[in-house]
Amino acid sequence: MPHSEWLAQARNRLKNRIAPAILPLAFLLLLYGSAVVMGSDVAEPPVRIPSNVAWTAATIAMASSGDALRGLLIGRRCDRCHGREGFSSSPSVPNLAALDRLVIWKQLDDFRSGKRSSHVMQPIANSLSLQDSADVAAYYGMMPIAPDPQDDRAFPQPLSDPKHEAIAGRLISTGDGNRGLPPCQACHGPIGFVLGAPSLATQNATYLLEQLEAFASARRANDINMRMRSIAAQLTEDERHALAESYGAGVAESGFAGR
Amino acid sequence: MPIANSKISLAGSPGSEHSPASASSNAKKRIRVFLVSLALICVWLTVRFPYEVESGVEHLLNGPNRVNPQTLHLHGEFVESNLGPTEEPDGRVTVRMIAEQYLFVPQCVVVPTGVPIRFRMTSADVVHKPAISEAADELKVVPGYVVETHLQFPRAGEYQMPCHEFCGPGHYTMRSRLIAVSPEQFRNLSPDGRVNCASQ
Repeated sequence: MPHSEWLAQARNRLKNRIAPAILPLAFLLLLYGSAVVMGSDVAEPPVRIPSNVAWTAATIAMASSGDALRGLLIGRRCDRCHGREGFSSSPSVPNLAALDRLVIWKQLDDFRSGKRSSHVMQPIANSLSLQDSADVAAYYGMMPIAPDPQDDRAFPQPLSDPKHEAIAGRLISTGDGNRGLPPCQACHGPIGFVLGAPSLATQNATYLLEQLEAFASARRANDINMRMRSIAAQLTEDERHALAESYGAGVAESGFAGR
Repeated sequence: MPIANSKISLAGSPGSEHSPASASSNAKKRIRVFLVSLALICVWLTVRFPYEVESGVEHLLNGPNRVNPQTLHLHGEFVESNLGPTEEPDGRVTVRMIAEQYLFVPQCVVVPTGVPIRFRMTSADVVHKPAISEAADELKVVPGYVVETHLQFPRAGEYQMPCHEFCGPGHYTMRSRLIAVSPEQFRNLSPDGRVNCASQ
């Protein structure tokens, strides 16, 4: 009978193939379970997250997918403070012209998530979607930094103390090895850039000083893996002033390589 | 025709349990299946298991040693509130640090002298190689992996930790300091085991 034959065959199979495999399978299940239990046993440290942004391939693709034409329309709301040409008329407001689009996108996202606080920027960032942020970033990212005589811009500002240029020049070009301070230009250009680090060649002095002080006191703490907090905390008051003023004076634009 | 075929193969197969000749071959078959499944499981454990579950057998043996360098600050043991020295429940001290362009974070770490200290480091971007003066040779820190070592600091004082692997234009200034103090002083400095001297 085909039916009983099939039954016998199945019984055989059960006895010969499946039964001997049950023991190792049970062992495997036990191992798997114990591993998961032990894994979850690791104490979770108290977590402080500096920024929700992580430079994964997906985030970089999202942040650089902006449409500059849409950004131009959204960017009309930014003109009043950040200037029509991306250069602010006030030295305490950052210039956005020609900033890397990842930089602008990350700061907007940090304002939105509250990781960076600002009474002005947080409500504005909250009204922008992820795509809007990418569009605005694309628009400012492609703006030229050419001087425009009709533009009302605060950049560059004169140095208040000529000694500051030498102090800042050394820090920008070579850093300070004794304190483990890397040169600014290794991350902020023009020698090298790291992801999320803005170019400082056309940044305003007062804004830079405020940010250095905020990083040093950890009032601003949205830098991934504490890069800027570690550095700014080691700078002296004089050095912070010198750096901010030199960048604000446009000295760094020509580069410090020869000094 | 197919039915007849299957009848023949059944009759000839060692699976029919009534013939005494096939009993030993049945046992052999069972052993073979057992061994093959065991071998397959061994292969899977060594090749796939660590990737299937991050906290797997590898975790049981070595602790977790794979991380995503891009998301160190979001979760896991290298979040910024967990960096630096930590005193564990059994009294041992673990120091966790991130190497990144162009810093070792935290930039200054306080450690106790005379006791073995567990160092766990990972990189957030490229290969770095911290070399701790007098206490250790170079440690190669590769993004994606956690390097772990045990160090002892024989004397109290300051130890330099420069980077010995070219990692970019800021490489020449990349260094941290380790300040070794006596264990009593260490306990007084930090009841919770966390001391950071970077801002001093």
